[in-house]
Amino acid sequence: MRFSVAIASRRRGLALGVLACALLPSPAEAHLVTTGLGPIYDGISHVLMSPDDLVPVLAMALLAGLNGPVAGRRTLFALTGAWLVGGMAGFLVGQTLVPSTITTASFLVIGGLTAADRRMSPTVVTALAVVVGLLHGWLNGAGIAVSQREALGLAGIVSAIFVLVAVASAFVVSLRIGWMRIAVRVVGSWVAAIGLLMLGWSLRG
Amino acid sequence: MTRLVRALLAVLVLIASARVAHAHEVRPGFLELRETGPDTYSFLWKKPSGGEIEIYIAPIIPKECRLATSGQQQLTPGALVVRGTLRCEGGIQGKTVAIDGLESTITDVIIRVHHADGRLESHLLKPVNPSVTLGAQTTGWQRSRAYLRLGIEHILLGIDHLLFVLGLLLIVGDRWMLVKTITSFTIAHSITLAIATLGYASAPIAPLNASIALSILFLGPEIVRRWRGQTSFTIRHPWVVAFAFGLLHGFGFASGLTTMGLPQAEIPLALLLFNVGVEIGQIFFVVMIVLLERAFRTLEIRWPRLVEAMPGYAVGSLGAYWTIQRTLLMLGGLR
Repeated sequence: MRFSVAIASRRRGLALGVLACALLPSPAEAHLVTTGLGPIYDGISHVLMSPDDLVPVLAMALLAGLNGPVAGRRTLFALTGAWLVGGMAGFLVGQTLVPSTITTASFLVIGGLTAADRRMSPTVVTALAVVVGLLHGWLNGAGIAVSQREALGLAGIVSAIFVLVAVASAFVVSLRIGWMRIAVRVVGSWVAAIGLLMLGWSLRG
Repeated sequence: MTRLVRALLAVLVLIASARVAHAHEVRPGFLELRETGPDTYSFLWKKPSGGEIEIYIAPIIPKECRLATSGQQQLTPGALVVRGTLRCEGGIQGKTVAIDGLESTITDVIIRVHHADGRLESHLLKPVNPSVTLGAQTTGWQRSRAYLRLGIEHILLGIDHLLFVLGLLLIVGDRWMLVKTITSFTIAHSITLAIATLGYASAPIAPLNASIALSILFLGPEIVRRWRGQTSFTIRHPWVVAFAFGLLHGFGFASGLTTMGLPQAEIPLALLLFNVGVEIGQIFFVVMIVLLERAFRTLEIRWPRLVEAMPGYAVGSLGAYWTIQRTLLMLGGLR
């Protein structure tokens, strides 16, 4: 019995490790996906297909949703607004000054807070959303500038984030059954675990 | 004062959406090579033309091949057609065909090769991938996927169609009426899409585009009427309006297929999957808007009245902008 639990836990560790490898940020990940449908759809696809942006956005939405409609509402506007401002600044500067390990930090902090499900004031959640938005937005904007793509891609990125955060945080706010809230916390713990593995990986060099 | 603010808002929406309103050519190009003899192929090139903007794309034939055309280009409704004979030493197998200028557009090109042994090869070239090496076997699934993708892209890039759907969503009152209205729009545009693709009827592009713009403009005042708590035939029976204008929009969707002049045998498959693609894109858009509206209510977002009015003004302003622009284009074309 104990043996099978150990195997299951090892398998889970292996799965997390593989996932973490896939999520390790590299310079190319800041670039936009090319859909052939124009820069706005390129931006939308970037969010949906880049786990290093998608996972923190969803985790942030879950965290905001767990803290109620006020936090959800403020996060929606704070995250998208900060992402846009950070993105424009990054695009104008055109250099990835922010260390790419910021993704790891996002996973750890947001995932950890979601897993803990500690009631936080909407102001703290909003402040966190601003920081995450500015840093990730900067990376996106700089990536777009470096790859000489149209800045309009940022509009697509921000629109996709707006829709994702609105829908995901509203969904969590509307949860009434206790076990569903626990399921949201489990998702948060997975995000934190991936962040932890990514951190370990980068420390090992 | 309020009127002045609203007028300013309408102008702002118009300016902000100028980029969105910028016309694109989304109808695909079509290149067909039919093996007529040893190392000889009949060549047919159709470039979408006569839309709001002219795109400049042309096939680059393999270096080892020689193309002989009559030198005349035929201008058919919606497309520029070039016919000729292509001779390739050693056949076309393994040779690369590219489309010049495709990367600076957002349209696709379908390449179809009919081999003498009955094999049918089909490729969908995109701006990100404007060349293909011929000779690979194309499965029915790959061809089906190309039509499905064309349908999805056609609706996602057809901002005017989406704006019309948004206008309908702003008018309908309850969920049942929403289902009724969207279903009625879908049935209507499927009817004319089929009629046009099967060749029973066609609509000239310039007046069609102007009429589609007019259908969007028509919804603008109706949305305002609904905000004011007034009623009208459209507000009471939006599904009737959706059906009537849906017939027009169907001809617009059909332009995505008819430009190519599909082979007779391929029409049922193409029509079905293209339409399914259009519906997938449309359902995705409707679901997204409904989810967003629900999310705003759950998060207790109270928009300022002006912001709340913005989608309605976007529908009305862009409808007006396109109506004027497309009518002028149409009149310019008549001269």
